[in-house]
This record gives sequence, C-alpha cells and structure tokens, in this order.
Amino acid sequence: MAEQVISPDLNFVKDIIASGGDTLKKCFQCATCTVVCNATPNNRPFPRKEMIYAQWGLKDKLISSPDVWLCHNCNDCTKYCPRGARPGDVLSTMRQKFIQENAMPSIMGKVVTQPKMTLIALAIPLVLFLLVLGLTGHLRTPEGQIVYSKFFPIPYIEAVFMSAVGLAGIAYLASLYRFWNSMSKGNNQPYTKGIVPAFIETLIEFAKHSRFAKCGPNADRRIVHMLVFYGFVGLLITTIWVTVYYYAPKINTPIALSDPLKWVANISAASLLIGGVLLALNKMKDKGFVSKSSTFDWIFAIMILLLCITGILTELIRLAGIATLAYPIYFIHLLFVFYTIVFFPYSKLSHMGYRALAITYSKMTNRDIQI
Amino acid sequence: MEKKYGVYVCKGCGINDAVDVERLANVATKDMKMPSCKTHDFLCGPEGVQLIKDDIAKEGVNTIIIAACSPRVKYEEFDFPGTITERVNIREFVAWSQPPKTEDTQNLASDYLMMSITKAQKVDLPQPNILEGISSTILVIGGGITGMTAALDAANAGSKVVLIEKESQLGGFVNKLYKKIPTSEFKEPLIIDTDIDKMVKQVEGHSNIKVYKSAKLEKTDGQPGLYDVTISANGASETIKIGAIVMATGWKPYDASKIDHLGYGKFKNVVTNIEFEELAKKGNGKILRPSDGKEAKRVAFIQCAGQRDPNHLPYCSSMCCVTSLKQAGYVRQNPDAVAMIFYIDIRTPGRLELYYKEAQNNPGIMLTKADVKTVSEAGNGNLYVEAENTLLGEKIKAEADLVVLATGIVPTTKESQEYQDGLTQAASKGDEAKKAYLESTPKPEFILNLSYRQGPEIPSLEGAYGFADSNFICFQYETRRTGIYAAGAVHQPMNMMEAQQDAAGAAFKAIQCLDHISKGIAVHPRAWDETFPDPLLIRCTACKRCTEECPFGAIDEDEKGIPYYKVNRCRRCGTCMGACPERIVAFKDYSVDIIGSMVKAIDVPEEGFRIVAFTCENDAYPALDTAGINRKNIDPSVRFIPLRCLGGMNLVWVADALSRGIDGVLLLGCKFGENYQCHFVKGSELAEYRLGKVGETLNRLQLESERVQMLQVSISDSDKLPGLINEFVEKVKEIGPNPFKGF
Amino acid sequence: MSDIKGILIIGGGMSGLTSAIEAAEAGYKVSIVEKNPYLGGRVAQLNKYFPKLCSPNCGLEIQFKRIKNNENVTLYTLAEVVNVSGVEGSYDVTIKVNPRYVNEKCVGCDACAQACPSERPNEFNFGMDKTKAAYLPFDYAFPFRYVIDEKSCADNCKKACLDACKYNAIDFNMKQETINLKVGAIVMSTGWSLYDAAKMDNLSFGKAQNVITNMMMERLASPNGPTKGKILRPSDGKEVKNIAFVQCAGSRDENHLSHCSYICCLASLKQATYIRELYPDSKAQIFYIDIRTPGRYEQFYWKVRDDKGVTLTKGKVGKISEDPATKDVIVEVEDIAAGNKIKASFDMVVLAAGMVPSTKESTCGMNIPLTDEGFVNAPSLQKGVYAVGTLKSPVDVARSVQDATGATLKSIQSMVRR
Repeated sequence: MAEQVISPDLNFVKDIIASGGDTLKKCFQCATCTVVCNATPNNRPFPRKEMIYAQWGLKDKLISSPDVWLCHNCNDCTKYCPRGARPGDVLSTMRQKFIQENAMPSIMGKVVTQPKMTLIALAIPLVLFLLVLGLTGHLRTPEGQIVYSKFFPIPYIEAVFMSAVGLAGIAYLASLYRFWNSMSKGNNQPYTKGIVPAFIETLIEFAKHSRFAKCGPNADRRIVHMLVFYGFVGLLITTIWVTVYYYAPKINTPIALSDPLKWVANISAASLLIGGVLLALNKMKDKGFVSKSSTFDWIFAIMILLLCITGILTELIRLAGIATLAYPIYFIHLLFVFYTIVFFPYSKLSHMGYRALAITYSKMTNRDIQI
Repeated sequence: MEKKYGVYVCKGCGINDAVDVERLANVATKDMKMPSCKTHDFLCGPEGVQLIKDDIAKEGVNTIIIAACSPRVKYEEFDFPGTITERVNIREFVAWSQPPKTEDTQNLASDYLMMSITKAQKVDLPQPNILEGISSTILVIGGGITGMTAALDAANAGSKVVLIEKESQLGGFVNKLYKKIPTSEFKEPLIIDTDIDKMVKQVEGHSNIKVYKSAKLEKTDGQPGLYDVTISANGASETIKIGAIVMATGWKPYDASKIDHLGYGKFKNVVTNIEFEELAKKGNGKILRPSDGKEAKRVAFIQCAGQRDPNHLPYCSSMCCVTSLKQAGYVRQNPDAVAMIFYIDIRTPGRLELYYKEAQNNPGIMLTKADVKTVSEAGNGNLYVEAENTLLGEKIKAEADLVVLATGIVPTTKESQEYQDGLTQAASKGDEAKKAYLESTPKPEFILNLSYRQGPEIPSLEGAYGFADSNFICFQYETRRTGIYAAGAVHQPMNMMEAQQDAAGAAFKAIQCLDHISKGIAVHPRAWDETFPDPLLIRCTACKRCTEECPFGAIDEDEKGIPYYKVNRCRRCGTCMGACPERIVAFKDYSVDIIGSMVKAIDVPEEGFRIVAFTCENDAYPALDTAGINRKNIDPSVRFIPLRCLGGMNLVWVADALSRGIDGVLLLGCKFGENYQCHFVKGSELAEYRLGKVGETLNRLQLESERVQMLQVSISDSDKLPGLINEFVEKVKEIGPNPFKGF
Repeated sequence: MSDIKGILIIGGGMSGLTSAIEAAEAGYKVSIVEKNPYLGGRVAQLNKYFPKLCSPNCGLEIQFKRIKNNENVTLYTLAEVVNVSGVEGSYDVTIKVNPRYVNEKCVGCDACAQACPSERPNEFNFGMDKTKAAYLPFDYAFPFRYVIDEKSCADNCKKACLDACKYNAIDFNMKQETINLKVGAIVMSTGWSLYDAAKMDNLSFGKAQNVITNMMMERLASPNGPTKGKILRPSDGKEVKNIAFVQCAGSRDENHLSHCSYICCLASLKQATYIRELYPDSKAQIFYIDIRTPGRYEQFYWKVRDDKGVTLTKGKVGKISEDPATKDVIVEVEDIAAGNKIKASFDMVVLAAGMVPSTKESTCGMNIPLTDEGFVNAPSLQKGVYAVGTLKSPVDVARSVQDATGATLKSIQSMVRR
C-alpha cells in the first residue's frame, strides 16, 4: 500500500469534541467496539479505525468513509467501551460534521446543522411565507368555514415548495454525488456487485429495517426508527396524493375524514408522533451505559415533534372550528414542513441518502454483513 | 563441651507400623554405643518433649538425636537451646515412603539413625565469630533521587550515613527535569514541580548524613562492617570506616547516535527525551527547538528508540511511555501545538494506566502504534517520521517540527562489568592475552573499586545486561557482594517512584546486614547461622580453588596465594569446603569429615544395593519430604544426605562412598545456567563441574561413570522426583553391584 | 529492648512475609495476621513465577525456614484485624482468630482426612475440586497443620475425625478468640483478590464451561493442583491443545477495573509456556491491547513470542461464546494488524482477570485513605501505618518484595521516632 502523508488537524479534533464527540480522545484502540458491533463488516470493520482517524483529525479519511454511515448508532460499542470513549456518539458526531461539510451550498450546512442557527433556519420560511402572503394579500384570517387553502392557496404552496424542494433536491443530489465520488475514490475497492442490484437490496433492507435488528443493547431503536421512517414515508405519499387530488379529480381540501388519503395521513402522523416521542424517551432512558445525544440530534427530535404536533393541531383545531387559532397554527406548521422538507439535505434526515449510498457501496465492494 | 547423648525414637505417625522400633533402639545402644535410647508413642507431644527436657535437666543430656519426622516440621517442639540436636527423618524418608516392616525399610531407618549419631558425635556447638570495631555507618553512592531517598530513610531510622555524589550538586537526573508526574492521584494538573531542591536541602541539613560532592570512591577495602573506604573529593582523599553500602549510581542515557535510522546527530531537531526535558526547562515550558529557536508546534515522540531492540537495548526501560505522555503535556501547554506519540505498546502498568487515561484525553495528543522506520529531513529544519504497521495505515509519513527519541537507560555498572568480563575471558586464555587486553582496552570508571580478589565490582549476572540485579524474584536484595545493595535504576529499569521504594529496601538491607555482623551470624539466606568456615591453613597448598569459586568473593589471598577469609563477606554456603582438595575447610556442624563419616556410617551389605544421594537442603530435600507426605514410594536403597548447598559437595565423598562398596552416588541440586535457582549462585553448577572430574577416580577404581549422576531438581518436583530416583537406581542395578563391596 | 513494641504485619503473602521476616531478622518482634490457614498468599497458588519459570515454593521454603529459625515472629492464621486505635509508636490492635479445630498437637499424618466422610469445595483450587472437611490446604502448606471446615463437618463427620486422630489434635470446642496486641507500627500487606470474571457478560465466564481465569490456570498447571499438573479442560477432561488467552479481562476497563493489573501479560505469556511444554503439539494465542513486559521482562516476552506455537494478536476480545455441541469456545476479536474481525474456536480460553485491592473486603479496622479504584492512597496514610505491594498499585512479586523491604525500614523509623 502506498505511503500516506498524515497531517493531524487539531481544529477538526476540537470541532468533533465540541460537537458531541467529547469522549473521542479517550479511545485507546482496543477494538472492543468493532467486535461487539453487529452492523460492521468483518473486513476492515468500524468504528475503531474511524476513532483513530478522528483522534488524529484526519478529516479526509472520514469524508470518504462509507463506514461512518454504516453505523446505525446501536451503541453496543458505547456500552462495552472500556474507556468510556462512546464510539456511537462520536460516529454520530462525525455524521453531523459530514452533513455540514458536504452541504451545498455550504452556508446552508452551517445554518441547519448548528443548533445556535436554528432560529435563523426557521426565519427563512417565515420571511418567505410572509412575503408571498403579504404580496398576494393573504396575510389575514379568512372568513367562514376553515379552509386552509383560503389562507394559503395551494398553488402558492406548490410554487414555493416545489421550487424550494427542487433547489434543495438538486443540492442534495450534488452532495450525494460528491460523497459517492470521494467514497469510491478514497477506498478504491474492486466491485463484486453492480450498483443496481446493490441499491435495490439496500432499499429492501430499508423497508424491512433489518439492520436495526442487529442492535444489541439498543434494540428498541428499530421500532422507533421504523415509526419515524414510515411516518415520513406516509406523509410524503399523502403530500403527493393531495397534489394529485388537487389536479386530477379536483378534490379540494379539506379532505373528508372518510377518504383513504386521510387515513394514510392520520396514521402517518400518529406514527411519526409516537416515533418522535419514543425517540425522545429513548434518548433519556437509562440503557445501562452513558450515551449522550448531541444538540444536533435533539434539535432534530424536537423539530419532528413540533412538525407532528402542529400538524395534528392544525387538523384538530380546524375540526373544532376555532379560526383565530387554526390559521396561525397552520402557518407555524408550514414552517416546520418547510424546515423538514426543504432543509432535508442539511438536517439529520439527509443521512438517509448517505446511508443508502454507503450500504450500496459496501454491498458492491463485498463488505456487506449477513442481514 | 563433653557430650552426653540422648537418643529418642518416635513411634507415632506410622513409624511403629513401618519399622521395628525396638530393633532400631538397639542399633543406637548396641551398634552405636549410645548410653540410652528412649522410644515414645508421640514424641512431639507435650509428654514426649517433656521426656527430653527432663533428660536435659536431670541427666545433663546435651547431644540429642531425635528419630522422628523431618526437621522441617515440629521445629518448635524439638528446639532445645544450648544443645546439639540432630533430627533423623524416619517419618517422611522411611515410614511414609517405604513398605512397612520389610528388612529394607528397617535397614534404611537404622542407617539414617547411625548416620545422624555419627554426625552428632562430630558436631560442635557454634561460637559466633564477632569481629572487633564494627562500623554501623552506611555509605550511599550516588546523590540522585534513589541515593538521597536511601540516605534519608537510613538516617531517619537512626543510622549514620555518608553520601557521595560525583557531580557538584545533589539531585541527579531529576535536576534536569522540567516537571514530574503526580505521585498518587493522576488528575489535573498532570505535570507538577519536582521539588528536588527541598529534598536536597533535607539531605544536606540532616544531622545523620554527611555529604561529599564532586566525590569519587577510590577504594573499598575490607569487608562488611569493616570497610575502609577512600573518598576523593575536591582534590583531597580521605579514608573512612564504613559498615555497609547502598549503590545508587543510577543510569546513563543510551547513546542515541547509535540508532542510525532515527537521525539523532544528523538532524539538529532530533533530541532525546532527556534533552527535551532540558529544552522545556530552559524555555520554562516553551519548547524552542535547537535548530532555529522556533517554537515547536508539532512534536513527534518515538517510543522505544533503541530499546526492546536486539541491536541496542534488548529490554524496556519501564519509564519512557509515561515520560513521553508527560512531555506531550509540556507541548500542549501551547493550545495550538500537537504531540504525536508513536509507540509499540503503551506501557503504563498498574495505576499508571490512570495517568495514561488522563494524559491521553487531550485534543492535541495523538497516539498510534507504529514501527518507526526512518526520520528524514523535510526542509526548514522540519522532519518526516516514516512508520509502518500503524493504526492509521500500513505506511505513513508525518511531518514534525521536532522529534523526541524516547531513549532508554543504561546502568552505570554496565561498562565496568563488560570490562571485567572481558578481562576474565582474556585471562582464561593466558597471561599474554590478559596483558594484551589490559593494554588495548580503555579502563572504564569503576564504582566500588573493591579490593576483592574476585574483582573490583559486583559481578555481572547473565541476562541482566549490566544491571546490578538480584537473580531472585523473592529476594530482591540477594546480593553477590555481602553488605553491598543496589537500588534504583542501577538495580533494574524503573521509574522514580519505584526507585524510591527500592531505595528504602536497599537501605534497610544495609542496616540489617550490620545487625547480623554485629551478632556474628550470617547474612541472608542463612541469617541464623553462627557457624563460619575455619580452614586448617597449615595444610593449604594455595591451589586457589576456594578463592576462585567462592560465590561471594569472601576469600582473598596473601602474597603466597594462601587464602584469607573475610568472614563478614561469607554467607556460609560451604562452596569452599567442596572446592578444597585438601579437605581443610570446616564449620562446627558441617565439614568434609562430618559428611564423609555419615557416608561411612552407612551399612553396606554384601547383597543388595546402596546409593547415597547428596541433597540440596532448600529444593530437593523439601521435595522429598513432600513426596513422603504424598506417600510416594522411593527405592529403599537410597540414603539422602542434606547439604547446605551442592557447592559444598567434595569429591572425596564420592570416592569414599564408592570405595566402600556403595553402588551409586546421586546429586540432587537445583537448576543451573541462566535463570539458575541456586541461592549460592553456582553450587549445583560447580557440583556438576566437579563430577566431570570424578571420572578419574572412577577410572582408577575401574567403575562405570554412570554410577554417579546429578539431577537438577525443583522444589515442586515432588511428583516426579521419586520416579527419577528410582530410574537411577534401576540403572545402577543394571550395571550391577559395586565390586568393592566387602572390602 | 522490652519496651520496644513490635510491628504488626497484616497479611502473610509474599509482601507480608518479607516485611515480617526482614524486621524479625533485624531484631524486631513481629506479629503476622493472616486470614487463611496457611502463609504464602497468592504466590502459594502459583505454579511458576515469570520470568524464571521457577516454583514460588522455593522462595517460600526459604521464608519459612527463616521463620523457623527466628524467635521474633508470632503467627496468627485464620485471623483478621478488626480494630486499630492509637498513634504511631503505640497502637492497640484487636485481632479476631477463627478456630481451626486442630491444635498444635497435629502431626500432619492425614489420618483425620482419610477418615473424614464429608467434602468441601477446595477454594485453594478455585472450587475445581474438593477436599475433605478435615484437610491440609496444600502439600507445602505452612504451618504444616490440618484444618477442619466445621461448617462442612456434621456430627458424624466430627466423630469420625476425632476418632481417627491418635494425638488429641482435634478440638471442636475451639471458639473464636479475640487477641489484643500493642504494636508500634503497622504494615498492611493484604494484597489482592481476583476480579469476578462473571461480571463481564460478554466473556461468558460461568456460562461457557471451558472459559477459566488465569488463577485457575495456575492451579490446573500445578503438580499439586486439581488435575495434577495435566492441563485438562473442565467440560470433558480433554487435554487442552489449542488455547486462547484473553488479556485485560476486566482490567483497563472503567466498567470493571480501570487500572492495569501489571502481571497479566506476563502471566499469560508464562501460562502459554505451560501448555507448550506439556503438549508439544499445542497452540496458544494471546489477544492483547498492549503487551506490558517492563524492564528485563522484555526478554521473557521475546522468548515466548519466538515460539512457533504461540501467536500474539493485537486486539481485545469482545465476545466469547460456547459451541453447544463440542463445548469449544468461540472467541471474537479484531485482528488489528490485519484489520479483520475474526472468529476462532479454542479448546479452552483463559481470561487474564485482574487484581482487586483487598481494601474492597476490609480495611482492617482502620480508616484508610483510598484512591477511586480502592487502592491505598499511600501519601495520605497516617504515619506509622504502611501499605505495601499490590495494596497501593498492582505490581509483580519483585516490586512487592522491594516495597515490603522498604516498609520494614519505615516501620523502624516509626519506632525510632517514638
């Protein structure tokens, strides 16, 4: 193997430490973590090597590492770590740093991933919405039966969201592409499987959440993650469905509670809410070892909960007919919807794409594990 | 002393079942003409002991022969001060290892009884040899942390101490240190002041301590308790009386320029760990590198530089890992600086692990396992460290502003030991070679300058790489020069804390040695022994074997080559007794004649075999006892005779035995060679060496050499030993009876 | 001299023996308080010492011989210090001495044990075999006197033992005694006990039959051990030909023992030689984080490393399981040098379990300053009380002996100061 020039980056180390990986330097490379981890491949397993790369501040090594994403934060490693180095949390921090570093445009990475910037992040849709509504003269509580589209007409929403999502989507794809490139170049492993079958396998795994089943002390995560995941999937489907209704059968909102769309929507919302609550509880639960969640993680959990709660309130208050409350809540809900959907590439949710690519890559390079 | 004998035979513990005790008593009274022989069912019980005590009080019995259990047990019961007491081991060696009531068993018991009575007849009560004018002053050589600790500890226990230091100030290596690690709680701050000045003050101000600085030990004459030590300091020489010596001369850093691939001497910014301390001290914590005085912000530490390496130091210096972790802390006093540590294994044993844990938890201290291959120039005075097998990748290259080599320690005794060993080797090739060696080899600085016939320093220990170490795990101060105890880094590789503990240990042994000498008893391991070698020098032929073979250098020679015993150096092993062809060395209870007479006391029948086994008291004898405890059968033709050490084995006994018709001779000694087990250094090895010469005797007697054999036995061999002995007996039986039987 | 009080030595292992005998030979009265019925402590249980591979009984024999020849030593076995009061130079010590049920008349003839109908687990062999209720702790035991485990000896057992003894050496009327001593200095040398390996749930001790501890391995390899020195695995008595050593089993692990136990690397290297010597076709693999063989021990490491039958693998074992069919032990570890996670099967696995300072059990009726790990924080100890050897930090026998010798001098200083 070629000689590598190692240049320790103290600032990167400090950054990881400051962002939730404060135990990073405690690792003494015993490799207990890689052994107790059920999600790691046998060949060049993680997270031991990621820990030393991070200890030395070798950012390049980490940026091209698929393994950071193969980690499902089960925390078996953290439980058994003899030094309290909490590799699970450190890897989680690395993912956060990566999302931030790999963001396009990079300013968005900073705005969304840094907890202190959260309000600024929320200010973006706020300003945008106020602008749209103000300019079109909708910035008031409509009369009569509560119909949200009277306040924020669907075409406006479509226009705002479509363009924002479109831009974010392009940015996300670019980020993913960059990640794929650095991963495949940085690792330079021969392929034993094509990208298409590997990707399909990955998607099937995602659907089953089978990797989470490998988690040892933190096995509840599978259910929690599944609830959140399918909640989002359901809401995504609902959103598309609503659009389809709007343009094709011309069914307008509010949609009747008896409509299957509403069923899916409500079930998804419930799933997300339960998932979100469990997620928060799980973070606080004593699992027999110390694991700290970063503020980055906490903000994400809170955002989901707020999205969910405002969504449900939007529906309930509408049904209760309190217009003065309904429209402002709806407005706030839309802020969180925007935050969730448009900031997807920069928030914790973006891990989905990175993880999908990392797993696909590991399957292609024959470093997959038995699922 | 006029001897009044009392023979007592115990019938307990199965002895009565195994032998006919009445017949045995008859052996004592009839064959050995003892005035009386009493038997008792339970001799070690209160009544039995009283029986003996009554005889002492009423009959004036003063020479007691007790045929019962092994002398290793019931030592309190059978302790009769002021008497000669001989224990005959007919329990473990007879009743417990032989079939009951056979003729062989009976003969075995009666031989043991006769041998012991014979011995008792020859033994005298010891009179301790207390020399006049014993000094109780302790000399500590070396004023570093070890020497100062030893001096203070001895002085605080009430001893007078003389401390000599070759430099102009006390403190040793600690003077060079910028900081040290905390002593007990390994929490922030991880680097603290050494406070060496306070200790120096304490030493210099202590009323029991006299300090000589810029001083050298010119000559050490005499023996423990009576050393005449000549100290030269500041141009003047002074001879003072010294009792015992603590050698705390410490270490020298390994010459880093010998480690070619690490660039020391080639590149200015490659320094040793000691030089790094000096840099840190000079910059008061700021690390200004030698080439350009620029502050070093990337410092690479290379562990095991020239250590754990067959081409350099083949040992670990025990302190460099912690030192580098500490020094990385110096680097990190600048928050923007980085310390990279390349190690093979991080060695922070015991609680030092907690220091590692704390020190490591620092953003700017980077560690990796690595085999460092080269240090090369990177321009601007910077350096590349290239390494393989790292945790970061198979081959890596890191740039550093400064490279610190964690070089190891070389004991100050190394050079002089090597010189002496070379001299011995040359001398063995003849006077010419010796002369050539003396002329061609530069004489190193000696430490002790002993005027001993065996040389001026503590002899080297195989596998100790020049350290003045003890060969024994259990006995860390079992020195080969009585009265001289090494401590600190000259003793073993160790850190500062360990050195201070070691210093107290060595200081104590020096004090204890003087206590023994003042009482006329031997120094460890025979610390109860009041006997001493008393050679009949009129018959000495000046063959010099005793002076050469004495493991402790206790015997000097006069101009005619006649040995001169320095009894305070002697440890009473009897090696000189074994060495002496004239058989003139004797102790009151241990002599060529006594053992020879025991051999002669064995009844050698015309039919049947007899084997004598000379047995090391410390290992083989307890192993045989334990075989008895486990009721292992041993061939009844074997008679065991314990020796203080097999080094006392005199060849005449072999000749005596064989010429009397004894069929075989077995020597049971301990393991020799590297990792030898003999507490008298070379006892069993010398016995083996002497056996090599027995061939002559055997040839003269026209006997097979296989009749004499030596076995190396460990104390834990009790399970195997009976089998080995029985095998030997079988071999002798195959050879056939000794033709001298009946002569 | 009569006004000079003696020195109390708590613990009769190698450290305590050293402190006691050295002081006694320098003319000081010493009392050794030992909780076991025999002296020698941990080293008595060892088959061999590293690096010389010699028997600890050799050194113990010399120590015992020194005691036998010195009248300054008073010995209390089966005894514990329960209270200490006073200051340097003048301590009042209360000792509780448990009954041995065998008095000084015992000759060591084994008749009671032969007659005794009851058995008890042999704690000297870590429960791997049994002794009679009347027993000699081991064949080199000092004092050479039997003991009766009264709890394991019912009335019929007591009768059988009593009847068997011809020397009136058995006395079931013995009661726990309290003894008060006045001493001038105290040396604590109560040593260590082995960490409970069952606490490491991932290493399967107590679950997989063929997972044993390093101390059990010493007993298995000892000629006077439960298998008479043949290393046979517990599940089926098969000769062990393929063995793994798991280093830092509990040590250097803040979930268990955050300190390094100093001796385990050397002990495993040594134990690898046991198996290699016993069965020339055997293989041993040692899994480690760092090999810690300080000083001249490095040479011993090289010697074992260079044996073709021994493999050293950097990587801490994270999981151990049992093959239910063969009872072989499956070890999971990352071979760090190769960068692969491996699963390997062994006949038997030895856990290099670590040292727990005995202060966890008792601080001998004193208020002793301790470190977070439970070791004695020596610099904070009151004057007159000294802790030695493994009570302060894990160390080997050599360093224990050095420290114990030094502690003798400190004790003498305590006498001098008063």
